[in-house]
Amino acid sequence: MTTSEATAKPTTVVDSRGTMCPGPITDLFKAYRHANVGDVIELLATDPAAKSDTQAWAKRSGNEILAIIDEPDHVRIQVRIVKKGR
Amino acid sequence: MTESTRNIIVVGGGTGGTLAANLLAKHLGDEIRSGSIRIHLVSGARAHIFQPAYLHVAFKNQNPKDIVHDERTLLRQEVDLIENDAVKLDLTTQEVAFASGQKLGYDYLIIATGSVPNPEAIPGLKDAGLNFHTSPEESQKIWNAIEQFDGGHVVIGIAGVPHKCPPSPNEAAFLADDYFRKRGVRDKVKVSFLTPYPRPYPAEPMSKVVEPRFEKRGIEVVTFFNVESVDPAKREIYSLEGESLTYDLLIMVPPHRGADVVIKSGIGDADGWIPTDKNTMRIQGHENAYAIGDATNIPISKTGVTAHLEAIVATNNIVSSIRRRGELYKYNGRINCPFEMGSGQASFVVGSYDMPVKEIQPSRTRYAMKKAFARFYWRTLSGSWDWLLNAYFGKTHEIVKP
Repeated sequence: MTTSEATAKPTTVVDSRGTMCPGPITDLFKAYRHANVGDVIELLATDPAAKSDTQAWAKRSGNEILAIIDEPDHVRIQVRIVKKGR
Repeated sequence: MTESTRNIIVVGGGTGGTLAANLLAKHLGDEIRSGSIRIHLVSGARAHIFQPAYLHVAFKNQNPKDIVHDERTLLRQEVDLIENDAVKLDLTTQEVAFASGQKLGYDYLIIATGSVPNPEAIPGLKDAGLNFHTSPEESQKIWNAIEQFDGGHVVIGIAGVPHKCPPSPNEAAFLADDYFRKRGVRDKVKVSFLTPYPRPYPAEPMSKVVEPRFEKRGIEVVTFFNVESVDPAKREIYSLEGESLTYDLLIMVPPHRGADVVIKSGIGDADGWIPTDKNTMRIQGHENAYAIGDATNIPISKTGVTAHLEAIVATNNIVSSIRRRGELYKYNGRINCPFEMGSGQASFVVGSYDMPVKEIQPSRTRYAMKKAFARFYWRTLSGSWDWLLNAYFGKTHEIVKP
């Protein structure tokens, strides 16, 4: 889902702006490790691979992309953790 | 020491700390001779280990004794080696406290305390898995294990991020494959590579180099596998994503954290990485305290080359401050990680803050360069060979003049 308006209130904001691949996805994984089911992680990134990497991970892991918002100088990706662990 | 002697303390005797102390001694010879400056290097361990060679101890049976030198022999004579562990770094009172109970004040500080492999962060990992990141002895256990391994499932990979030396997990898979082929048992061994990333190597351009080579060698890649825990009894490894895998031999790079002294001093983030200006190497909020190498929170590779280039920047900024030159050195994030891909071939992971990692194909020439650098390592710590390294690395920093 891609939207420029409605967004959820994030539980954690991960600011990876200025880092290159794999910086944003690395930061997302660190936040995922500490997250609980139901949490919303918001990833801020400038690296273009952040979008596709996060989408691919969410699809594979069964977690939910709530929004991908293109801001003027970065992208904001919101992920709801719906699956973690066994 | 005179009343007006100023102390520069370097904490940590690894690549960055050793080079930093030697560069300061080299650049501040006049001040040291006049007694106005004293340089101290704090290291509780006398053994200086060339850590990239852990890989060869693990997969090529290199003698661990060959990769260790006495720290004192690597330091210029002007450097005072304090053989004690630092237990507290107080950036407010500008003091370093030692395990012995003594304290020493500083005028300038460089923290080069590195990173600590932390297998304890993943339940079950310490008991289940072997690794080549914690010590020469642990690396040797891998050689002993693969030597006796006649068939089954070998799982190699990344147990958590960040970790030092980003290419090392892939290198391990390549070298394990080489080893089992050489022994003639490769057809009885399944090799799987586990990674939390979407591709075999985190940065896409180099992943394009790795992927077809893994495929050709029959190394199975399991992506998006963030290790949650390991069950040594069942020989199963589980991911946060809900997947699991069984293994017969598990070789995982543990997640890393900052040094104990950084965590206990309360100067790092939640994982013990020191908030550092990525260009000047100054610790944020402190004009006279610097952090270099793995110890920082800078989002680039934790490698010896990075520590080396950051040591050059931090020491030049200290010299500039002492001599009131007003110049400011700024690191550009240049990385240059050797990347061994088996069959006597190697590549390099090259990039900077402004230049994404490039696609560089492996070759025998690059392997020869990697080997030459390993032999040359001990000399590079003196700081006397930077003219040669500079010629190879090209631009690694800029100098902002007043």
